[in-house]
Amino acid sequence: MNPDEWLRAFAAELHHRRVRPDDARHVVAEAATHLRDGGGDPAVVFGPPGRYAAAIAESIGAPPPAPAAPGPVRLQARGITKRYGRRTVLRDAGLTVRAGQIAAIVGANGCGKSTFLRICAGLISPDEGEVTVTGRLGYCPQQGGTSDFLLPDEHFVLVGTGQGLARGQARRAGRAAARQLGWDAPGDVLTRHLSGGTRQKLNLTMSTLAEPDVLLLDEPYQGFDRGTYVDFWEQLGRLRDAGRAIVVVTHLLNQLDRVDAVLDLTPAGGTVRDGGAGWGGRA
Amino acid sequence: MNRMVTVAEMTLRELLRRRGVLALMLLLPLTFYLIRRDAYVGQSVRSLLLGISWAVSTAALFATSAARELEPRLRLAGYRPHHLYLGRMFGLWVAGLVIALPFFLLIAFDAPDLRYGGVAVAMLCCVAVAAPLGILIGALLPRELEGTLLLLTIVTVQMLIDPAGAGAKLTPFWSSREIATWAVDHTDDGYLARGSLHGLAVTVGMVVVVAAVFSLRLRRRRHLRHLPLG
Repeated sequence: MNPDEWLRAFAAELHHRRVRPDDARHVVAEAATHLRDGGGDPAVVFGPPGRYAAAIAESIGAPPPAPAAPGPVRLQARGITKRYGRRTVLRDAGLTVRAGQIAAIVGANGCGKSTFLRICAGLISPDEGEVTVTGRLGYCPQQGGTSDFLLPDEHFVLVGTGQGLARGQARRAGRAAARQLGWDAPGDVLTRHLSGGTRQKLNLTMSTLAEPDVLLLDEPYQGFDRGTYVDFWEQLGRLRDAGRAIVVVTHLLNQLDRVDAVLDLTPAGGTVRDGGAGWGGRA
Repeated sequence: MNRMVTVAEMTLRELLRRRGVLALMLLLPLTFYLIRRDAYVGQSVRSLLLGISWAVSTAALFATSAARELEPRLRLAGYRPHHLYLGRMFGLWVAGLVIALPFFLLIAFDAPDLRYGGVAVAMLCCVAVAAPLGILIGALLPRELEGTLLLLTIVTVQMLIDPAGAGAKLTPFWSSREIATWAVDHTDDGYLARGSLHGLAVTVGMVVVVAAVFSLRLRRRRHLRHLPLG
């Protein structure tokens, strides 16, 4: 592939990845200048056009897709107050998430993010407030939630049986959900032998296996490498596009441009705001 | 039923893969049996029964503690509390019987002139009571160390208390001791009847308390309203 052909393919890949036209022109011009001044085979200098375009798109961010009409409300938490002894962890917190939306819960350590999520999941009771969930609920805990001496497939069977799936069906669904995270779930490795990040993939896979309508994720990406982390957010994007309502507890603020709403539980905050640019801005 | 069987199966699979634990579960009753074997065989049999009880209840305690984080998500996945605690209990009962079987054979070959049917019933009582006892302690005490110490206390009391005293009947494994006396010392049938009744009552009582604790812990919270998709 000569430089001109490579640049044309590169421009097409950038367009395919929805990089803004101005940004794409700028990046292609820079690459052309580099090739003209430095010479060399572009496939060696930059690599395949598709891969380089993917790296560029990830580094500068893709523009928001055309806003879709918000779906019906799937999760509504109102007036949530929770006290542990004299300490009030949550005061009148609320969140509404519609089908096809991702909401992030952010805040400092100990501000009640996980508590809020566990209240939404019905695992603990608030002192005040109520939660309404429409459809099936899925929950991924921050840690734990797997069994050391079971195989990944057995986890899929365990969760799938609860949903009324046959064993084979549950295994297939689990492996398919795992592949969405770039993970080929092994059939013969005990969970205790999986790395922390892979175990977390199993944890996440278990929560998405039954295709819940509302998905609650408590910092599910701990231990993920960068590639898996990107896969994770792409998976969330696909689930959102499929009409799921997703709530993610996160402290990684650089990902907030991919969400539609943010609940800030910092004591001075306690507010819901739009997610801003990036993927959405749909609150 | 399918859900309960799946939980029982997974409990068994987990336990059978912990080979070190299995070895210790066998070693504990064996040690109890051998330590007094040179003296009176009745004492060895009673000690063995206590060893089986201790081993099975400890396994139940740890299985319950290990599943503590998993159970809420299984509840959300469609399991009801009774699927979880009964499934786990069935799995542990099966595991307990598997552990007890070689010891029954050991006694059958090693100790002559016993009522072996009585020995089998005593072992059945041990396993029947031990599984829900361990589950109950695991459910009430979230940390394994506290649970283990409580179990140790219960077994020590069981070991040291005067079996003829009124207080002995309040201990969970009194049934197996009573039945073992019938089996070893060829006492009257009252021992067998009292022991069997005690074992049955304690097992049923334990299961009921476990049911209450799990139903409370894994209950549907009132603040959460589920609506079907419209």
